[in-house]
Formats: sequence, structure tokens, C-alpha cells
Amino acid sequence: MPVYSLEVAVVLLGLVLLMMEAFVAGKDKRFVAHTALLGLGAVLVGSFFVDRTPDASGFWSFYKADGLAMTYKAIALACTMLVIVLGLDYIPVLEKFTARVGGHGAWGEFFCLPVFICAGMMWMASASDLTSIFVSLELVTIAFYVMVTFMRRNVGSLEAGVKYLILGALSTGFLVYGFTWLFGVTGQTNLDVIAAKLNSGTVATVPAMFSFALILVALAFKIGAVPLQFWIPDVYQGAPTPITAYLSVGSKAAGFIVTTRILQVFLGSEALVHNCTAILLAVACATLLVGNLAAIPQTNFKRLLAYSSISHAGFLVLALAAGPAGAFGLAPGQIVAYYLAAYLIMTLLAFAVLVVINRTSGSDDLNAFNGLHQRSPFLAFALLVAVASLAGVPLTVGFVGKLLVFAAAVKASLWLPLGFAIIGAVAGFYYYLKVLRNMYWNAPAGGTLPAITLSGLTKATLLLLIAATVVLGVWWAPLFQLVRR
Amino acid sequence: MITLNDYLLVSGLLFAIGLAGVVLRRNIIIIFMCLEMMLSAANLSLVAFSRFNTVNGLPDYNGQMLVFFIITVAAAEVAVGLAIIIALFRARRTVHVDDIDAMKH
Repeated sequence: MPVYSLEVAVVLLGLVLLMMEAFVAGKDKRFVAHTALLGLGAVLVGSFFVDRTPDASGFWSFYKADGLAMTYKAIALACTMLVIVLGLDYIPVLEKFTARVGGHGAWGEFFCLPVFICAGMMWMASASDLTSIFVSLELVTIAFYVMVTFMRRNVGSLEAGVKYLILGALSTGFLVYGFTWLFGVTGQTNLDVIAAKLNSGTVATVPAMFSFALILVALAFKIGAVPLQFWIPDVYQGAPTPITAYLSVGSKAAGFIVTTRILQVFLGSEALVHNCTAILLAVACATLLVGNLAAIPQTNFKRLLAYSSISHAGFLVLALAAGPAGAFGLAPGQIVAYYLAAYLIMTLLAFAVLVVINRTSGSDDLNAFNGLHQRSPFLAFALLVAVASLAGVPLTVGFVGKLLVFAAAVKASLWLPLGFAIIGAVAGFYYYLKVLRNMYWNAPAGGTLPAITLSGLTKATLLLLIAATVVLGVWWAPLFQLVRR
Repeated sequence: MITLNDYLLVSGLLFAIGLAGVVLRRNIIIIFMCLEMMLSAANLSLVAFSRFNTVNGLPDYNGQMLVFFIITVAAAEVAVGLAIIIALFRARRTVHVDDIDAMKH
């Protein structure tokens, strides 16, 4: 089977799900989610057995199937499946906020659209031409507009959707204008050919830098870095929680593979590498500072995770800016992939707990976690593992990701950005572990609250993610092998 | 004779007007129109670049292909975007960005 059959399969799965959602009788649409899980799981398994050798057709100038692309495809599939599991837990909230007056909620599509987003993210992982990058990126972004606004009886969700729409469209404008200038100075749309052309010394550097700046602004929106990071807290807070998790992990990962590929083009050019690296380092430092310092006073756990997502973007940009040397035998692109795989596990674990809290208490505030240890020791432990890993405590998978980034920065002698990263990591310890006080020591406001019961699927998912966080934090080999493919 | 620079100047102006509109205007519909103007700016310069960067005496069609994709994607974006703006208007009876403040800081 050729590798692009994976994307074809995912799109077909999405179409089948839409048809099932529309034409199968019955009010309970949970079967759509279960079918999506089965289908995506099959594609994930299949992704390890596809034929990756390119043939002579022109298709392969738009599409790349290197190891990095396969890693990001796996990340996209795993993330989509976990988001669908989170969505199943979130159905009561969706039911409430999508219902017509006196009618039932309409949340069947909530489990169809992520499948299309997944196809877009898988395509982004392989896109190697300005055209395919643009189209796949927009497939993801436009579907996300719908998903963020999904709870249309909830003003927060609507406002988040409009904010995401305006800034998303703005970043699209920057992206295409940047692409235009890149095409203008090189006369090419394929990234490899553009890279060769930029390196040949025949290209005007000023318009090339102009296009770099425009494209970087657009990509900063996708990955949540300065200067287009200010949408993140509001949109994350307003969007349905599973979609917040999806934005935070899937959309960011897909943004980073495109960023990695485009930066390879600019950083590979002798004439541009100096200025581009300086700009990237400035972006990394500013992102680390904004994300970590703004996270400290937050009292809403969802907004806290939003700032955490910005700060992780800072670490990742730093890894990309640290130059081609990398660390521990991994290239910068592979370090980013490793970090994102780790980030996927721990962030989705935190969001899985948040979904349950949100469903049972209707709030995302840190106060809603008061007394969680009494209500459900298992959930409290799951969140403990998640925040420890997000903060980068040793023996968790998050520690390994941060270690790789620090090692790459040390190898490239980037002492000032390293200082910012250390400040960020230390601040992280404070604001991540703040939630522990709520869970273990603070008493809930209204006396003792009822214990929380979890469905079998949720319990299994949480157990899997906890195990992955701890085991992969001790035994590094599996993720190393995944990103080195 | 109209040169490449003239087209790029007009396209740059369009982009700047669009960006200024997004930043300065407070009505979401107008902001959305300005965003579309920014995409048109990109289309104009893409077509100009591909017309003036000839390959074997023919325009470079790679750029024009990208233009078609941009037009199509922009149409999809408008369809979804207007639907979202209408949903917001139904709930809030306003399309002004200053009124969008439900999120607590």
C-alpha cells in the first residue's frame, strides 16, 4: 500500500461517519465515536506497514514520506483518538449547549469533524510544496473554526470561535503573502527546490527575509508563539474542553512540522541563516517569558494550561533555533518531534482529568479541584503525574523532552536563551504544582462532594497515559526509535 | 508599459489597507472583508510574479495554480466564517469586537 492511502482512508472514514451520523436512526450517536476510534486505530496500525518509496509521478513533489512525516502522522492519529475519548466524556456538556429549545442536543458531528482535521494534520506532516502546505493547513484551520464554535448555545464558545476565526484568517493572510514573496524571489513552489535556489546565492536577500518574517508570523499563530500568541488563553477557555486539548496538542504539533520544514529551507541558506536564527531566538525568549510569567497568577486551570501551551512552544522554538547540531544524536526536527510526543501524553492526561471535573462541577477553576483526593484518589493521582511531567520532574516523560532542549541549547552555546528557559522551567514548577494544593489540602467549599465515578474507557485511557508518562520517562528507547524512523 | 513593480506596489497597498482595516475597525463584518482583501493582495502579486517570471516564454503556472487554491480556500473560509458571525449575532445581538468580552481574565 502506498503511504498516501493513509490520508485517503482517513478522509473516507470521515465521509462514512458523516453518512452514518445523518442516516442511522436513533438519538444516541455514541456509535459514531466508537466507529471513529476503531477506524483511526486501524489506520494507526497500518501506518507502520505502508510502502514509503516514492515513484516517478509528479505527486511526490507535493508530498514527502520521510521518518519525520511518519512520526507526525502517528502523533496526529493518536491525538485524534484520545480527543474522541475525551469527547465521549464531555457529551453531557455538549448535550446541554447544542440543544434546540425543548429539543435534543445535536453533537453527532462532534465526532466526525476531528477525523477530517486528522486527515489535514497527516497531510501537513507530509506537505513539501507551498500549495500542499497551504491547502492542508487551511483544511485543519477551517474545521477548527467549526469545532471551537461547536457549543452554539454557549456565549463563551461563540466568542472564542469568532476570535479564532479573525486571527486565523489574519494568519492565513500573512502566510499566503509570505508564500507569494517566496515564490516571487525563487520562482518555485517546492520546498527542496526553493532551498537549493536560496542557497545558490543568486536570490535577493531582502525580499527573502520579508517573506520569512511574514511566514513566521503566520506559523506563530499555529504553534502559539509570540507575536501571535494572545488568542490562546481566550480561545482555549471558551472552546469545548476536548477541542482545547486538540488545539493544544494536535494543531500545535501539525504547526511544528510545517515550521520545521520551512525553517530548514531558510536556515539552510548561507546568506539568511544568521538573521533568521537571531529572529527565532528572539521569538523563543519572548515566548518563554510571556508563557511562563503570565501563567503564574492564573486561577483557572484551563487558562493555566493555555499559558503552559505557550511556554512549551517557547522551548520548542528554542530547539529549532539551536542549529543543526541537535543533541543526543537527534536532529532539531527530531528533538521537536520527541518533545511533542511527550507533550501529547502529559497534556492529554491533564485535559482528560479536566473534562471529568468540568462535567461534574461545571467549572474549570482551580477551586473546582478542591478535595479531589477525597472524591477520587485515582483522578488526583492522574493529575499529579500530568503536572509533574508538564513541570519536568525527573523520571517523567516531560523531563526527557526538556533535557533534550537544554542539551541542544548548551551545545549551541545559547547562554541567554538558556537563561530564559531555566527561568521558565522554574516558574513552571510553581504554577503547575499549585493545583496539588487544591487537590490534596484544600477542603471543598460546600462540604464533602460526592465521589466521582469513571467509565471503563476513561479509566483505561487514564491508566494508559499515566503508564506512558512514567515508563517513557525511565525507558527512553521507544520514543527515540519512533522519532529516528 | 506596466512593470512588475507597479503590480507589487498595488498589491502591497491592498495588503496594507486590509491589515489596517483588521487592526482599526471594530465591526466584525468589515474586519472580515479586510481579511479577504489581504488574500486578494497575495493573489494579485502571485499572478504578477508568475506572468513576469516566464518559463520557456510561458508564464510560470505554478503560481497561478496556487492562486486557484487560495480563491477556493477563501470561499470555504467565508462560508464558515459568516455562519459563525451569524451565530454570534443571534446570541449577542451585536457584531462589534468591543462587545466580545465574556472571557474573564
